[in-house]
Amino acid sequence: MVTQRFQELVRTISWKKGMPKQRFTFVPHPVAGRPPELCNQYVRGKDPITGKLIVDELVTALTSPLAAEEKKTGFLMRDPQPRLLEPNTPTNLIDLFEKNSWTDGLPIILPTEAKVAEMLKGTSHKPDEIVGTMRPSPPHEAWEFNVEMVAANAVMAGAKPEYFPVILALASTGVTSLFSSTTSFARMAVVNGPIITEIDMNGGIGAMSPLNKANATIGRAWTLLSRNLGGGAIPGQTYLGSQGNNLNYNNICFPEKEDKLPAGWKPFSEIKGFKHGESAVSTFTGWEIVHGGLGMGGGKEGLARAISRYSTGAYRQVTLLLDPIVASDLKELGGFQTKEALSEWLLKNTPSPAQGYWRDHPDQMKQAKSGVEPFATWLKYPEGALIPASSFWPDVPVEIIVVGGETNAFMQFGDFRHISTASVDKWR
Amino acid sequence: MKNRIYWLLAGMLLAVFCLVGKILAADEAKVTVVNPRGTPPPIRLVPMTPRFDTLDGKTIYVINIGFGDTFLPEVQKVMAEKFPKTTWIFKRKAGRDYFDDDPKLWAEIKEKNGGVIMGVGH
Repeated sequence: MVTQRFQELVRTISWKKGMPKQRFTFVPHPVAGRPPELCNQYVRGKDPITGKLIVDELVTALTSPLAAEEKKTGFLMRDPQPRLLEPNTPTNLIDLFEKNSWTDGLPIILPTEAKVAEMLKGTSHKPDEIVGTMRPSPPHEAWEFNVEMVAANAVMAGAKPEYFPVILALASTGVTSLFSSTTSFARMAVVNGPIITEIDMNGGIGAMSPLNKANATIGRAWTLLSRNLGGGAIPGQTYLGSQGNNLNYNNICFPEKEDKLPAGWKPFSEIKGFKHGESAVSTFTGWEIVHGGLGMGGGKEGLARAISRYSTGAYRQVTLLLDPIVASDLKELGGFQTKEALSEWLLKNTPSPAQGYWRDHPDQMKQAKSGVEPFATWLKYPEGALIPASSFWPDVPVEIIVVGGETNAFMQFGDFRHISTASVDKWR
Repeated sequence: MKNRIYWLLAGMLLAVFCLVGKILAADEAKVTVVNPRGTPPPIRLVPMTPRFDTLDGKTIYVINIGFGDTFLPEVQKVMAEKFPKTTWIFKRKAGRDYFDDDPKLWAEIKEKNGGVIMGVGH
């Protein structure tokens, strides 16, 4: 049984899972949160797609003998993907790319053989070497791609050949930037290591603004390759974000401001196990980034209170993007000698909004109602109060990245979680 | 009359612009571009499970994988009311969401030679 809004999706998925004739009965959408009486009416009513009675359809689906098509074995072959497209004029090819939704809606550079060959000079890897696989979300099949295919998308994004190892590293993670979820995920890409200065990425003033070609085009290339190499971004089939996410245009792509890290604070990639001097790119998933206001105005407790909005519910994870001034203050005034120390302190000391805390902790709610302390006292707190207990996922650290140009003691943070870090050097 | 002439002239001008545009496009040199698409894998077909000849005496599981909290229990109730000779069992799949597998439940259904109605959506 499927709510009618997902008709296209389930037919696509059942095809991809090898059951193209899977039997479905559709019901009105949505059903979540609807009262039982209304749901009962739905069940006794008609399938909004076929107009047949839902009960009859269920019985037919369970008892009607299988047709020959439903018993088939073997393989469904996909349309062959030629290495080159039919020669055509640039005007017609741009039309073709746009009509086929191979772009992000913005103008692209056509991946001519000459431009792709130029891009391939940015790596020592052979054009036909397999880079990896990618899928829009776990139920979908993984598409495979080679170095040349990634190069075509890098050209389309407007990237320079020297950026190509970073783009290949991003592609090699297999992480799509266009994750197919009704909740409209965003992605973030953070670069570390000598590659930052080599390709002139900007981690200073306006690092997350559209001010730098490398930041802009590497992030954009990730979205284009996620569409084209990862089989994603078809609305209703391989992209379900109800409202979408504007951050996907560039995926918050920037380098850490490594030369402004307080002494003792490691670059992000080193915290994830990479050696000093290695270049790497890290991927993150989340939904939003918000301004966190002025850095240490409220002390470290103020910071903990500020990020508490992410410590319950769907989030329960947070990444801090600290201007170097704030990072320095946290070290000098807050006493955090390392990022890890700050992360650990925040995990333990960030309170949780009461409503989310009780929703996530049904056992503690039972104890609170039985008079067990401190839960009983917490339960008496007024609506909107903060519970002095952290609800971040226990195995997900608070991630900390230093970025910005020291024009103000500002910081931003969001509900982002680290997914993976890949070597850029491997793809040089 | 004057207006009609203006409109006629405007239309002719537009047609000329379109024609010139087409001619210019046709004059563009053809180029060859690399296909930006990845390679989708072939799909292995999975034959569907044979169906029951009747529901009488059978066990059908109504499984919620995160399909709201109220809808599928009603499916179980209505089907039990209409088909009393069939055993209708409502179960919530284990795990936090639809990504989590529940091999224990699948084994239970297999052991009972049961049928399944599963809910997708919300």
